[in-house]
Amino acid sequence: MELKYEHGKIAIENKVFTTLDRFVLDFTELLEEYVDYVIVSGYVVILFGRARGTEDIDTIIRYIDRDTFASFYQRLSRDGYYFLNPEDVTGLYEMLEEGLGVRIAKEDTIIPNIELKFVKDDFDRYSIDNRLEVVLGEKRLFISPIELQIPYKLYLGSDKDIEDAIYLWDIFSEKIEVNRLREFMKALNVRGEEYGIEV
Amino acid sequence: MELKYDKGKNQKERREFIHYYARWVKSVPNEVWSRQQAELIDSFILNAKNFKMTTEKYLEIRDGSPKEN
Repeated sequence: MELKYEHGKIAIENKVFTTLDRFVLDFTELLEEYVDYVIVSGYVVILFGRARGTEDIDTIIRYIDRDTFASFYQRLSRDGYYFLNPEDVTGLYEMLEEGLGVRIAKEDTIIPNIELKFVKDDFDRYSIDNRLEVVLGEKRLFISPIELQIPYKLYLGSDKDIEDAIYLWDIFSEKIEVNRLREFMKALNVRGEEYGIEV
Repeated sequence: MELKYDKGKNQKERREFIHYYARWVKSVPNEVWSRQQAELIDSFILNAKNFKMTTEKYLEIRDGSPKEN
């Protein structure tokens, strides 16, 4: 794997795009016109090579007002997306305000889908304020800092999540800010020694 | 009937494979690991598209909240 790091960006050159990559890149290009976002969790791990599938792309956005959301909703409809949730635009916005996720897919499909949520806590805010730009050829997207993703995955704690944490550590251990990782591990009260994540 | 399944051993083997796989990904050009990954993920997505399920059922499974309407 060749990763190029520069000024808060990581470039993955010559990556063969998956159907999932194209779906995410198309969607985030549109989303970016309306609001800052950050992708967290499973797709972050897949983007850097983990060989596993995922149904949904967890995406956090900053708070937007009703009118902006309504414009975004209309744009999605024009561009061939739909919300899986049965609520109308008002109901969808209320779901977001209540801290729930809303799901968006391309017409006539269910998987893959984007699960969109408003920023809800300090970890989400940190993710979006310190998001990492990943450059894929002419395209780009924004992901949560790896230093937060590893502890977050350990915190979630399922076998799959722990395997994701191990994978990210193995790929990035020489590149990440260990102090920052240590702080998040402490904040989330997780330990990694058992899995070879030694900080 | 007896089921012989050692969860701890299975977890250990899976995690060893993750280390092995990550070493391999780091050792090959992006075109190599990403081409293999694309075959796997594209198959997964294709299978998912062929698996017919209503959005209501999907949301119920994923989010655990059957809709009343």
